[in-house]
Amino acid sequence: MTSASPLQIADDDDGFDWEAAVKEIDVACQSANPLTSLPNYPSSSHFVPLQNNCNYVSSSNKILRKPRAYKQSTLHSFIGKGVGLEHPHENPVVDDPDQQVAVDGEDERVSCVGIDVEAAKTWIYPVNVPLREYQLAITKTALFSNTLVALPTGLGKTLIAAVVMYNYFRWFPDGKIVFAAPSRPLVMQQIEACHNIVGIPQEWTIDMTGQLSPTKRACFWKTKRVFFVTPQVLEKDIQAGTCLVKYLVCLVIDEAHRALGNYSYCVAVRELMTVPLQLRILALTATPGSKQQAIQNIISNLHISTLEYRDENDPDVSPYVHNRKIELLEVALGKDAVDINKQLLEVIRPYAARLSAVGLLQNRDYKTFSPPDLLNSRDKFRRAPPPELPQGKYGEIEAYFGGLITLYHICKLLSSHGIRPAYEMLEEKLKQGPFARLMTKNEDIRKVKLSMQQSLSHGAPSPKLSKMLEVLVDHFKTNDPQNSRVIIFSNFRGSVRDIMDALSNIGDLVKATEFIGQSTGKALKGQSQKVQQAVLEKFRAGKYNVIVATSIGEEGLDIMEVDLVICFDANVSPLRMIQRMGRTGRKHDGRVLLVLACEGSELKGYMRKQANSRAIRKHMHNGGINSFDFHSSPRMIPHVFKPEVQFVKLSIEQYIPRGKKVKDDSAIQTPMFRAKLNADEVALIAKYFEPTSEKSWRPSLIAFPHFQAFPSRVHKVMHSYRTDMLIDTMQYLQNLSFSGESNTFFTEGEIASGKCLGVDTVEKEDNDKDPLIWDESPSTKSQKKVTDSEVSSLKSLRTKEQNVLDPQGQRPAGHSYLFGSEFVLLPLKEASQTNCTSPSATVLLNCLKPNSCHLKNPGKNYEEQTVQGKSSPDIITSWVQCETSVALAMSKSNLQQETTLDQVEKFPETSVLKKIISNEGDCVGEALNCLEIKVPSLHADEYDNSNELSPRLTNMIQSGFVPESPIDIGLLNGKGRNEFLATDVSPMKLCAELLSKSQSPRKNDIAISSSSCQRDVSISSINNECHTPILKENNVVRTDGCTSISPAAEETNTPLANLTKNSLSKDWLPSSGDKSENVEQARKFKRLRKIGDVDRNRNPEGNKDKSLAPIANLGRSFSDISPNQIKYCKGKRKLTGNARTFIEEEAEVSSEAEMSDDEKDDSGNSSYDDSFIDDRTNPTAASIQAETSRVDMMAVYRRSLLTQSPIERESNSYITSTPDCGNSVSRRNESKSSSVKTLCSFQTPQPDSANDSARRDTDSFCSTERMSAAMPGITSHSVNENERQLESRKRKLSFCQPGSIPVINLEQKFCLQSDAGRKETFQQGLAENLDANAEVFHDDQFFENLDLDAVEAQATLLLKHRSKLSVQKQDVAPKSDAQNFDLQSSPSFDLGIW
Amino acid sequence: MDDNTFDPDLIRAIFKLVWGRRALEREKNEGADAVDCEVGVGTSKKIRPTSANSNALKLSCELLRVFISEAVQRAAAIAEAEGVSKIEATHLERILPQLLMDF
Repeated sequence: MTSASPLQIADDDDGFDWEAAVKEIDVACQSANPLTSLPNYPSSSHFVPLQNNCNYVSSSNKILRKPRAYKQSTLHSFIGKGVGLEHPHENPVVDDPDQQVAVDGEDERVSCVGIDVEAAKTWIYPVNVPLREYQLAITKTALFSNTLVALPTGLGKTLIAAVVMYNYFRWFPDGKIVFAAPSRPLVMQQIEACHNIVGIPQEWTIDMTGQLSPTKRACFWKTKRVFFVTPQVLEKDIQAGTCLVKYLVCLVIDEAHRALGNYSYCVAVRELMTVPLQLRILALTATPGSKQQAIQNIISNLHISTLEYRDENDPDVSPYVHNRKIELLEVALGKDAVDINKQLLEVIRPYAARLSAVGLLQNRDYKTFSPPDLLNSRDKFRRAPPPELPQGKYGEIEAYFGGLITLYHICKLLSSHGIRPAYEMLEEKLKQGPFARLMTKNEDIRKVKLSMQQSLSHGAPSPKLSKMLEVLVDHFKTNDPQNSRVIIFSNFRGSVRDIMDALSNIGDLVKATEFIGQSTGKALKGQSQKVQQAVLEKFRAGKYNVIVATSIGEEGLDIMEVDLVICFDANVSPLRMIQRMGRTGRKHDGRVLLVLACEGSELKGYMRKQANSRAIRKHMHNGGINSFDFHSSPRMIPHVFKPEVQFVKLSIEQYIPRGKKVKDDSAIQTPMFRAKLNADEVALIAKYFEPTSEKSWRPSLIAFPHFQAFPSRVHKVMHSYRTDMLIDTMQYLQNLSFSGESNTFFTEGEIASGKCLGVDTVEKEDNDKDPLIWDESPSTKSQKKVTDSEVSSLKSLRTKEQNVLDPQGQRPAGHSYLFGSEFVLLPLKEASQTNCTSPSATVLLNCLKPNSCHLKNPGKNYEEQTVQGKSSPDIITSWVQCETSVALAMSKSNLQQETTLDQVEKFPETSVLKKIISNEGDCVGEALNCLEIKVPSLHADEYDNSNELSPRLTNMIQSGFVPESPIDIGLLNGKGRNEFLATDVSPMKLCAELLSKSQSPRKNDIAISSSSCQRDVSISSINNECHTPILKENNVVRTDGCTSISPAAEETNTPLANLTKNSLSKDWLPSSGDKSENVEQARKFKRLRKIGDVDRNRNPEGNKDKSLAPIANLGRSFSDISPNQIKYCKGKRKLTGNARTFIEEEAEVSSEAEMSDDEKDDSGNSSYDDSFIDDRTNPTAASIQAETSRVDMMAVYRRSLLTQSPIERESNSYITSTPDCGNSVSRRNESKSSSVKTLCSFQTPQPDSANDSARRDTDSFCSTERMSAAMPGITSHSVNENERQLESRKRKLSFCQPGSIPVINLEQKFCLQSDAGRKETFQQGLAENLDANAEVFHDDQFFENLDLDAVEAQATLLLKHRSKLSVQKQDVAPKSDAQNFDLQSSPSFDLGIW
Repeated sequence: MDDNTFDPDLIRAIFKLVWGRRALEREKNEGADAVDCEVGVGTSKKIRPTSANSNALKLSCELLRVFISEAVQRAAAIAEAEGVSKIEATHLERILPQLLMDF
């Protein structure tokens, strides 16, 4: 039949009675009894196949390709053994044909697990770690029979398991291997350990604990091959059928000593054994049991057929056993404890005596009893109550037993853990239950409790605790706290807490944590497994160096560095003692196990149990063959194969914890590219991609809402319709918020416009103020040493500017930035807005506060700077003067404001006052404060007005920006309207300037400084202190005006574009182009801050044009802007190179220019440009013009230098005007130069008129300003001039605005303006009228704009305008020739217009 | 389309990675639903992974390139406006909403 079997296998579908065969085998398996009689059951025998089998195998060799065939042989061997063992008398007749057939049938059933023939020829033993003989021997055994490995801790049980698993993994390509460990931490530890030993590919391994949902586990059972599970999971899944039992080939059971009773191990194995399958079981333990019976139970439960036992004394093991010094520290009980113990015994005595009397308790010293003794006695009593005892007494006896058990337990606690745990237990027991009933009336127990309380209130220093602390401190003195680890075991959670408390007091050396089980009691909360894992991880990593553990820490924790184990209680089972000891000495010699035992019962118990454990070892020697009954087990590998050991050095990949498996790719890849990164980049990545956290950084879409109110700059991809929708929505939303309060940060389209307006107003105000101050200061300067003061002021200004810049910088950091230029502006705008919007004097405070600390900071900085400035004597003097002048200016400004520009002026004033107040309060002094206070009081009314006006203004602005609401502007009162309109227009410019400033300030510190010089001169000491946001703004504005007018224009373009976007989406595209240009310009500006000044100079024209253009854009189209911008850009670029060289000069010039109105500034800039231009070659027409004017300019410039700045300013303005005119530049220049002188003469008269008229003489203002500028050098018009200048500045501002507007609008306006300017010089009312006209024109324009939706139409209009403008200019030039004043004024206007 | 667009192979690799992950997720979710679905039923989706033909891939490359370059440029504009020479995540965040709307 042997020969027939292969055939049968080949066609297994024949009519063989498989059922019968299966049954037979099942019976054989189930009836398999423990192997008793196989004294020679050498593992090598597995390698010796039976002869029959040999034949069989050889005959079936050809079929071996089929996986099933192999089963056959395995089964065969199995049955052979089983039968042989089961029926010793039957002998190996097993091979009778029928049996074989049956075996074949069985094979069919189990055939799903195939053997890899090639792999089965060898078994692999890794030599990555040094080979140990005993491990090799045990592994060899374990491969071929179910083995219980009892190996002392730390000798590498896991390696054996891993090797066995690995080989089964190799042999059975479809087989599934299970490793069961009793706790989750152990599972996690073992999966890693196994991986590191044999490197089973991680895609095949999985750890499954109760945390995985059963459904997921079911999935894994199907897809994975090596499972690291908890026994509970294994049990449940086997019962649920999700575990594919049929495929199981190997089961490893860690900590097998737990396989007692109904523990999951036993259940799982039982379940597996009901299925007829072959399974290799490998059980691992360090402590199989303390009794022979227990070990036998394990062997039976786990179907063990071989016991591999080694202990430290075995010759093949001993070399690897690290010396462990076990120290027994005897600790005397504390005096308190002794007393309490006595008292407790007193309590116990009567009960024990009574029980003894009944004969239920051994008649011995009641002090020697222990709870187990009593338990045994009670059991005995329950089983066989003494007959002489009446039934009624039973309850009483039970109560006594219970009470005594509790009491003895408390005694034990007292001796081994101290008073506190004992006390807690006693208290708890006394609260309820039978013990409480028994003891409530007992006086002695109350005394015990009392004395416990007393000693506790004294701190209850347990001798053990103090000893332990001593030991710990000693240990960490001799060992590095970083590398040394200590585990303290305590059997009792209460004492864990006590130990923790004690450890917390001994300082930094000890970083202790507790490590306890999950169950949560009344007093103490358990640790979740997650926490446990975390604790272990940190312990491993060194974040903790002491663990205070309960029994949970006793098993399996493999922590190499542990070099001290302290057993806080000694009276535990030897099993646990061994496990505890096993936590140390795993890597090195000389590790210490400290046992703290109290004298007395605890010590005795310890001794007894040690002796006990020694005895059990004897049983296990020689494989325990004499002592235990073993089961049979399948060989699994056919006898055909005689796997030879093959020593292989395995290449093992880095173990990756499963939690991160999802991110396998990134986890693996990151290191690769990370290697190419430098530290900074890695840090940057770490900042946004937290490596440890699950979530990687995700960009926020809502982080910068205000940025979404403006279209972002685009590169190639234009904004989509949806983006526009988004922007509109955001603007709408933010608008609401804006109106709701003075939210400075949220600038949306309209809001932005509003802000711009506010800023403009503020700027205007500032400008007005500045001029005033300036005028005053010049006077003072002129009187004193102007140069010195200027220098100092320049310094201070620079610092101030820098400060301003800083705050801005801070803001951006804190908040989100709008577009580069815009974001800088925003703060300013915000400040201005806050000022404007918030109605009351509080506004000032608000400005300071809400606008953010930045303002305050700057203010402080300013103060400091001012202080510095003060240090310079000149400055101080000027300071006083400045104060006075400020007061004057304030009054003037108030008057002016009240009369005409109340609102606008008030705003600046308010802001200035605020700033002044704050600054002065800090720095200046009482006098200033007084002035300030006065000023505020004066201005309070104005403030109110301004406040009221401010909303209107904002509305106006918005309306102005949005062509739709020109009517509103018109609605404003004549003067107010005019002014407002002017302001509106100017605001545009101002905004632009501000923007430019904001942009430039950061980069263009130098430029700012130069511009600031002017400011400084004007504001000088007074302003320095006062340098509040307004000042900053002013400074910035002025500087910008001087330097960055063009930038401003650019910036304005962007805002305008935004506005236009808001208003007209159609216009957007052209505007976007403009914007992009603007951006470029801005960049250039940044780069060329110094240059920026020059650029600004050039830009003035451009700026004017730009400002006009923006307005036009607002009203009409943006197309105009773009050309202007482009020109500017060119001019700027060219200028930039030149500018640097002239920075200093420019600074002076700019300061002078700043002194003059915006126009003057422009002119000043232009003059600078010209001067710079000399060096350069101006590419643009403007530059050419400038060049043409250069000669004149140079002369003027020199003069101005000689005369101080004013002349230059004038010249500058002239120059600028000339460039604007373009064609008539030369004429203008000449006229200007000539006019300068004439102007001077004229100016004198004008000032008076200007003073009288105050503000509206735009032309006259310009002239007056120029005159004044010229004058200071020559004469002393200080007060009048100052006033005039101030007025003129205001006027100029207004002029420029209206002028620009009209220019933008139509030539007609321009003409009117020029005419008006002429008239205005002598008649204020006329000027007003003109302004009104201008406004009317504006309105018309606006309407026109509204009408003209199409860009083309706008473009055409623009073209027309240009032509008209040029014509106008030409006209103006002649006019200027005719009249110096007219010329001056007109050119300037032209410039502005252009 | 530029020649110097992204390497289609790279993009395809990325796509495949994403598709694979998604398929895995889907499979898992379905696996949770039908625990005991035996072999043969659930494999159909596994067998047919998502794919893209070469033109689609080319287009994807270009789209991604444009998207990324636009994002970088815009962020750079912000960064530059801020005076910073390094583009940081905040810059990206600032332009991201509109960028996403534009694409």
